[in-house]
Amino acid sequence: MVMVTKVPPRHTPPHRALRLLLASGVTAVSLVAVPGTAAAEDDKSAGNTLTVAVSQSIDSLSPFLAQKLTSTSIHRLAYEYLTNYDAKDARTVPGLATAWTPSADKLTWTYTIRDNSKWSDGKPATAEDAAWTFNKMMTDPNAATANGSFTANFAQVTAPDPKTLVIRLKKPQATMTALDVPIVPKHVWEKVGDFSKFNNDKQFPIVGNGPFVITDFKVDQYIKLKPNKTFWRGAPKFDELVFKYYKDGDAAVAALQKGEVSFVPNLTPAQAAALKTQKNIKVNDAPGRRFYAIATNPGAKAQDGKTFGNGHKALLDPAVRKALFLAVDRTTLVDKVFQGHAVEGEGYIPPRFGSYFWKPSDAQKRSYDPTAADKVLFAAGYRKNAEGKRVGKDGKPLDFRILCHATDPNDKAVGKYLQEWWGALGIGLKVDCLDSVSDPWVKGDYDLAFDGWSVNPDPDYVLSIHTCGTLPATPKDSGATDNFICDTEFDGLYAQQAVEYDTAKRADLVKRMQSRLYDTGYMNIMAYPNALEAYRTDQIASITTMPEAAGNLWGQDGYWSWWSATPTASASDGDSSGSSTTVWLILGPVALVLVAVGVWTARRRRTTADDRE
Amino acid sequence: MTSTEPTLPSAASLRWERRRSSVSRFWKAYRTHRAGLYGLAGLALIALLALTAPLTVGADVQSVTQAPGTALESPSSEFPLGTDQFGRSLLGLLIWGARISLLVGLLAAALSVAIGTLVGIIAGHYGGWFSTVVMRITDWFLVMPTLVLAIVLATVMSRSMWTVVIAIGVTSWPTTARLVRAQTIAVESRPYIERATALGGGHGHVMSRHVLPNVMPLVLAQTTLGISTAILTEATLAFLGLGDPTVVSWGGMLQDAREAGAVSSGHWWYLAPPGIAIALVALAFTLCGRAVESVLNPKLGVSR
Amino acid sequence: MTTASTPADVVRAEEARATDGAPRTGSSLGYLRHAAGKLGGALVSLFAVLVTSFFLFRIIPGDPVKAMTHGVPTSAEQLATLRRQFGLDLPLWQQFTDYCAKALSGDLGTSFQFRAPVGDLIAEKLPATLLLTGVAVVIYSALGLWLGTRSAWRHGGLGDKLNTGIALTLWSVPSFWLGLLLIIVFSVGIGPIPGLFPTGGMESGTGETGFAYVLDVAHHLVLPVVTLVAVGYAQTLLVMRSSLLDEMGGDYLTTARAKGLRDDDVRRRHAVPNALLPTVTMIFINLGHVAAGSILVETVFSWPGLGGLFYQALSVPDLPLVQGLFVVFAGAMILMNLIADLLYPLLDPRVGR
Repeated sequence: MVMVTKVPPRHTPPHRALRLLLASGVTAVSLVAVPGTAAAEDDKSAGNTLTVAVSQSIDSLSPFLAQKLTSTSIHRLAYEYLTNYDAKDARTVPGLATAWTPSADKLTWTYTIRDNSKWSDGKPATAEDAAWTFNKMMTDPNAATANGSFTANFAQVTAPDPKTLVIRLKKPQATMTALDVPIVPKHVWEKVGDFSKFNNDKQFPIVGNGPFVITDFKVDQYIKLKPNKTFWRGAPKFDELVFKYYKDGDAAVAALQKGEVSFVPNLTPAQAAALKTQKNIKVNDAPGRRFYAIATNPGAKAQDGKTFGNGHKALLDPAVRKALFLAVDRTTLVDKVFQGHAVEGEGYIPPRFGSYFWKPSDAQKRSYDPTAADKVLFAAGYRKNAEGKRVGKDGKPLDFRILCHATDPNDKAVGKYLQEWWGALGIGLKVDCLDSVSDPWVKGDYDLAFDGWSVNPDPDYVLSIHTCGTLPATPKDSGATDNFICDTEFDGLYAQQAVEYDTAKRADLVKRMQSRLYDTGYMNIMAYPNALEAYRTDQIASITTMPEAAGNLWGQDGYWSWWSATPTASASDGDSSGSSTTVWLILGPVALVLVAVGVWTARRRRTTADDRE
Repeated sequence: MTSTEPTLPSAASLRWERRRSSVSRFWKAYRTHRAGLYGLAGLALIALLALTAPLTVGADVQSVTQAPGTALESPSSEFPLGTDQFGRSLLGLLIWGARISLLVGLLAAALSVAIGTLVGIIAGHYGGWFSTVVMRITDWFLVMPTLVLAIVLATVMSRSMWTVVIAIGVTSWPTTARLVRAQTIAVESRPYIERATALGGGHGHVMSRHVLPNVMPLVLAQTTLGISTAILTEATLAFLGLGDPTVVSWGGMLQDAREAGAVSSGHWWYLAPPGIAIALVALAFTLCGRAVESVLNPKLGVSR
Repeated sequence: MTTASTPADVVRAEEARATDGAPRTGSSLGYLRHAAGKLGGALVSLFAVLVTSFFLFRIIPGDPVKAMTHGVPTSAEQLATLRRQFGLDLPLWQQFTDYCAKALSGDLGTSFQFRAPVGDLIAEKLPATLLLTGVAVVIYSALGLWLGTRSAWRHGGLGDKLNTGIALTLWSVPSFWLGLLLIIVFSVGIGPIPGLFPTGGMESGTGETGFAYVLDVAHHLVLPVVTLVAVGYAQTLLVMRSSLLDEMGGDYLTTARAKGLRDDDVRRRHAVPNALLPTVTMIFINLGHVAAGSILVETVFSWPGLGGLFYQALSVPDLPLVQGLFVVFAGAMILMNLIADLLYPLLDPRVGR
């Protein structure tokens, strides 16, 4: 180093830029200097925290507004619902209610509320709270934003005593033991003014009675929860549960590999394959609860009988739909697109829900057979023209559009296969990918679309969206319908199952509905994608899947996974082998930068000194 | 028939002669810029690869149903760059993808410069309140966050190559418009324009026959530089999922790689080549553009 | 840079600006008139942005209510309630007048998906974006100025060629790609390189406070900042280099050398200050890009800033949030352009102030 003396700092304008440089140099040094300390911090607090990587933003922490999966999953943890689903087989088990009985006319339901559930502020949770919650949703449309569909048919809800809740219905309702509505503490929520604006995210901890209590929340950064020590089923084992945001899937997986998070859902096949080979990481590949399908536009129409939209007329011909579906090789899709992490699609409800699962008989089944597809088209009068294009009844070549979700890689991948398979039949396909497909969808402006729903243990909802009653009232309205299917036979069966309280008989009706849906040929269920997720075994010792045998962890119907998770005994001693390397790798550049800055400053001063002489 | 005397060189052949000499003068000056030559050579090579792609790799390289390999293979002698998640050869896709990336870059830059030139010449020629209004709009576009605007446009329109071309073209013209306008004003202050007007040349005549040829060099430099920006923007939009998913492009390959989880599973060979390709082409166009620019306008001082 | 302007563009834009706008008279009255004109222009632009942002985003296809409830059991009544809550049941002109009236009083509306005031959401995310891009702009401006000066002074030499070559190459690299590579190498770790830096986010969220928290955030800053600097410094370098080359043709430098001044001093005392002018102006314009320019890097590094918020808002589409962000992005550009316009005549030595 050069000795520098005697020259006082100068303040001539030319040096401003240089000083700026020096300042940024210092910033750079401080940037590089950091990691050692920060890493140490990470190790220290990793002890008993269960960190879950999430990507979907919270729409609201108010149970009356929240609709996204992340939000509702967290509400499951923070509030006890009337009933829950068994981890083993998803049958209804007690939640806040310990028992429930319908009246003979099936219009009055009486629930017994447990006396050992307490709000986290110490007050007991009673039937009064439940009655208040439901009444609020029935009287204030803003409070019905998220879960209003459950209470639309309620006539009156009362709490004659703290242990009894009575719900009177306008007409029988099959979902009375599956009311997925968070019950909130009346003494907290009755102070809320406008339910459409209250997000429940200002005061922490949030008063609840579920297995966890929400203690902190920062939009798109994290949600923190602490165990509810007085939870009636027993307190969770981890000291803290953190949902941490990774908007990028790869970043989440990298964080898992480094131990920054304990659990990552929604892996791609490549990520799962890479993680499988690593130690201390377990990949959970469980049958999923979603079906993944192609839906055709059956000619969108409203309840007033008016048709709308610009769906392709040729798709109204069952022969065309049959031919298209015959040319879809579902086995290849499962192999190539899902890399084996899916089950080939058959009926509407995934096999995971064993009691409702149905598969087509051999006579019904549309197996992959391009030659047969060609024959079906030929027989129905669709011939190929000179250029090899299939020609429709109007003399024009058949060209379809398929609506695809731009955010779903599977849609884009399957779209490529469909283009080639249907191209071999002489049928053109344009893959229309949009961030939000709902606009052309509700307007009926599509020919085909990629469709998929998560199925609940109670299939009522996913069946209801194919009934005529859910069509929009007029073309201007919107309805809950999935893709404008309206079939009287299906509707008749739906009405029967909705009032059938005998489980076996209802299951039989549900299977007949699926058979009918299959025969209408408006939908082709391609696959049931698996839930691909991974967790660190050096942080989580055991965790309950749902269903218990080969089930998933993220997006369960109950709170079993996070409630049951137990920490690994030695979780706190992180590996220190890497840290010394880390320190050196950091100190090296820091020293380099310091030396560089030093030399440079010295030279600068020297020249300045020369200049003065 | 009417004239038997030896013909004087016609106006057309004179113009032809003049152009040829100016082109050769340009080339002589360009040749002295070594970086520009490197850029040109790089472009020629890439253009050759892209144009001959139907012969070397063939359109079948895009086919998912006839993919030769298995998913995400690492580089081997059969697949020098490995395979993608459908088992297609990444080297083949890279070569095939050059076609779309280059095409979109060229079209978008051409569109952008065309709009800019048109607006610039009209605003510069007419002047007055009309020019003020047009330049106000240009200024307003100039302060719009370009990428944000392009994302919005690409979201609004359906996913296709043309959407990307339009989104880039429509958002990046203002700089050209300003420069062309300044040049137009400079050209029109020259005396011969006045002469042309006096001889009865209309607005259209002046703009197309006198102003346009004079702003062409500027437009050329602007286009060359614009292409590299357009290629980068195309990759960006494709990466954000706003491109046509059924068409293979470099940006789209990066998006595919990311969606397949190539980053965290360590499949760097999937991720690295498209990015390098984008950088090389963008660099080549920038080098050419800078060379063209310093040939035409040595004052800019971007000499070697 | 993620923004679509080439270094040469900026130089030329500067020239256009200089010929167009800056007053050549030295009087302060002239300057005031110039300033008032620019201020008026900026206000008009801002108003135009407000108005167009409303209509621009109404052409996005997509029913926000349907999009938000897609895949969620929702009855027709619930949909109607949501529409009413969002004011989407009103006719377009009424939505527009409501929007204008509110915007003028500083209220940018309520986000559909977060159900919180747009102003609050932006205010919440703004510091993260300012931190990331602010640090990056400071570093790459300084780096660009320094390397640009060196390059120009020894132009034509090996150092210059190397310098410009590297800068141009890095400038041609897509920023998101560089970010992903950095994540693979320095965050996930390849071979002997351990994962040194976090993969994303702005903090570990493990409850650090005080200095430890600052260190934690700085640790998360490293990779995104490196990405932005690598891709961005070329612009400053090239502008500085070319304007310094311009200056070096000046007679006064020869005079200065003839006076026997050392090379270094000629550079520092005479050439650099004059050459700084276009560069400083450009840095301000770059600052205008700050808000919008980091969309990609924020996406790749899960940085909780405005860029990620914008992208997310656009996919719903969360109209009030998209509009608000657009106004903020464009507003930042307008503001920084205004500052550059106002500074230009003050800094320009030729104006003789």
